[in-house]
Amino acid sequence: MADVSLSAQHLVKRYGGVVALADGSLDVTSGEVLALMGANGSGKSTIGKIITGAVVPDGGRVLLDGEEVSFSSPQAARKAGISAVYQELSLVPDMTVAENVWLANEPVALGRVRRKERKERTARLLSLFEDALGPSVGPDSLVSVLSPSDRQIVEILKALSREPRIMILDEATASLGARQVEHLFELVGGWKAQGMALIFISHRMEEIFQIADKATVLRGGKTVGTADLEETSEEELVGLMIEGGGAPRHVEKPTEAAERAVLLETEDLRSSVLDGVSLKLVEGEILGLGGLQGQGQPDLLLALFGAVAHSGTVRLAGENVRFSHPRQAMRKGLAFVPGDRGGEGLLPIRSILENLLLPSWSRYGAFLNVRRARKDSEDVSEDLSLKMGSLEDPVSSLSGGNAQKVVLGKWLMRDPKVLLLDDPTKGVDVGAKGEFYKILSDLQERGVAILLHSSDDEELLGLCDRVLVMRDGVVRRELSGGDLNKSALVSASVGSSDGPPSGGAA
Amino acid sequence: MSAASLGGRLRRVALRQSYAFALVLLVVTVAVNYYLQPNFFQPGLLSGNLLLFVPLMLVAVGQTVVVIGGGIDLSLGAIVSMANVIIVTLMAQEPSASRILLALGAGLGAGILAGALNGFCVAVLRFQPIVTTFATSFVFSGLALYVLPEPGGTIPPGLQGFYYTNPLGLPMVLWVVIVVLLLWNLLRSTRYGPYLYATGGRDLSAFVSGVPVSSVRFLSYCIAGLMAALAALALALSTGTGNPIGGTELMLQSIVAVVLGGTRLSGGQGGVVGSIIGVVILSLIQSIVSFSPAPSSWQTLINGLIVVAALAGPGLFALLRRGVRT
Repeated sequence: MADVSLSAQHLVKRYGGVVALADGSLDVTSGEVLALMGANGSGKSTIGKIITGAVVPDGGRVLLDGEEVSFSSPQAARKAGISAVYQELSLVPDMTVAENVWLANEPVALGRVRRKERKERTARLLSLFEDALGPSVGPDSLVSVLSPSDRQIVEILKALSREPRIMILDEATASLGARQVEHLFELVGGWKAQGMALIFISHRMEEIFQIADKATVLRGGKTVGTADLEETSEEELVGLMIEGGGAPRHVEKPTEAAERAVLLETEDLRSSVLDGVSLKLVEGEILGLGGLQGQGQPDLLLALFGAVAHSGTVRLAGENVRFSHPRQAMRKGLAFVPGDRGGEGLLPIRSILENLLLPSWSRYGAFLNVRRARKDSEDVSEDLSLKMGSLEDPVSSLSGGNAQKVVLGKWLMRDPKVLLLDDPTKGVDVGAKGEFYKILSDLQERGVAILLHSSDDEELLGLCDRVLVMRDGVVRRELSGGDLNKSALVSASVGSSDGPPSGGAA
Repeated sequence: MSAASLGGRLRRVALRQSYAFALVLLVVTVAVNYYLQPNFFQPGLLSGNLLLFVPLMLVAVGQTVVVIGGGIDLSLGAIVSMANVIIVTLMAQEPSASRILLALGAGLGAGILAGALNGFCVAVLRFQPIVTTFATSFVFSGLALYVLPEPGGTIPPGLQGFYYTNPLGLPMVLWVVIVVLLLWNLLRSTRYGPYLYATGGRDLSAFVSGVPVSSVRFLSYCIAGLMAALAALALALSTGTGNPIGGTELMLQSIVAVVLGGTRLSGGQGGVVGSIIGVVILSLIQSIVSFSPAPSSWQTLINGLIVVAALAGPGLFALLRRGVRT
């Protein structure tokens, strides 16, 4: 394999008003594994997507072997020898493993796909993971029946089948088991020796020290440093990731939370993802759910809201409850604000008024009292300081931040007692975030108990009285008071300085 | 191997085909037909029964390709009408060899162009397939009426005679089926095969993998347009005349046949074999209704009810199949 070098310089990417990447740079050459690190939302994945041509940058340049390149599509990047293992899977569920691995790269003779060869080559690739794959996985298995970890391996093999010179592994280990990760790392060692350059995006400190040679750290969309891992300690890296971590508090916190009544309590809550979560949520409190993404936080919220099958005890104001449907949870005063506001939270082409009223029509009589409903909507939109033309405008006319306020607003119409928030400010610009925080603290003063999952660590630190750090479906640590700071949060998330798991938090 | 495990394996293999349900239905409809009409299996009657369904089969094959790619084409019936009148009008004037070739070329070309228009709107301009093809169907119907306002014209008798021959002792219908299946296999064995299924299965994944999604979609509509034009030719040959609204019924029937054949309307799954079986089932249902003792005013209703019941089948069967997989 010929030597290869890749250099990304001062890359910039904006999505609307949100800057995903302000100044991202990295360098990697043959025979090297570069770890790309940073807290949630620091721009790691964006850099990866730019290099593989999935996203076009707004500024900066990429040099491949010293020459400037710009890839308009993943295909173009692949032709140049760059392959990525995507975090969001690129597999087609109804097709077989062999068809997926060789999709758009089929071995062809005289215009016809050589199925036999494709199958043999797939079998050869699969044999790389021989002992680490499920027993029935073969070239002809349908991808839709594979387990998530086996699918991830197919994804890795697919990237490998293009014989890349540069491979990007974006959270490729997140859904793999320990044995499979070990296997992957052995292979990575071999690829390195053959002269491949690898970019390894991961949150797991332990893995990074195991296979990476150097690490580039991003913070707030900027590259803040590159370190040789042999000469660097975990603490130094965490320090780079969070420097200036004494984040300003967004709101004043009430101090006497401890004396208030417990509103929501769980014991040993389990689901397909949750592995025994116990927590207590007090009246007028904002309890944070932190940790890396995909550690079961959304599942916990959905289970509490009755949208996900679960076992264990849930007590609402001291009374045992079992919600098997969101309607039951809503009747008892729970509200859930989903993170994906386009997908779940709103009907974008309908008016703001309709969106606000959707969960509340039952409160306005069999023959709807539209005037009263309108009055209530006006009150709520005023409380939220919604910036809009009129209530009749479609939600799609609002900015991201204001649209998210509507998602919150439609639940506020029902005067909820417990508010479950799933990463509510993701993708919202800074100004609108501030207003959103203000609304939350108003609610808090009115005694509403808020359970907030956020991928933004600053947000948790600024808003919450206590933060539960989750990993692998369990609450690993509870941080409060003096312990509630950025470095404790980050190290608890990546598991670098594990205290005893505090299953019975609170 | 024990009998039980052999049975289990057979069951799994059969269930894995998306047209498994269509096969069951085929057996049932054949049995009912035989019961109502004991001379059903006589060769002459059989091929006579099926001949009129060649146009539907060709349209259904085109529809299948579009549906697998994640689209739908409501204009195929209108394309049949349009290509049909173009072929008949051009041929009828002067039955010389060059004239016939011109007529064929113009008819097939018109079908491909019509498909290209649909494909352009859907794949490049990203219009909704249902609305787009419904709208273009009026364009094609209008053109058909402009070319030939009323049914009429004739096909050179020699040509029509050829259509009713039995080359090598096999009826023409069978030859058409064989050729279509061979072409379908050829298509599936090129890169276009996996591209088409990937595009319909999950277009984002396909795109990220480097599949030229727009071109794949565009081509699927062109293929459907060509198949509709071939159906128009078959229609002209079997009826011997041109009809500006002759293809209208084929559009919905082709979709019914596709669904009966186990191809999922959401795309990415299924195949032409199932659709051909679906067409045969449709024609058998029609023959059951016409030979049943029910009064003729009831036939449309009965036909409709049977089709609705049959359409529910693939969904139920898919549930069963999921049970086997896990």
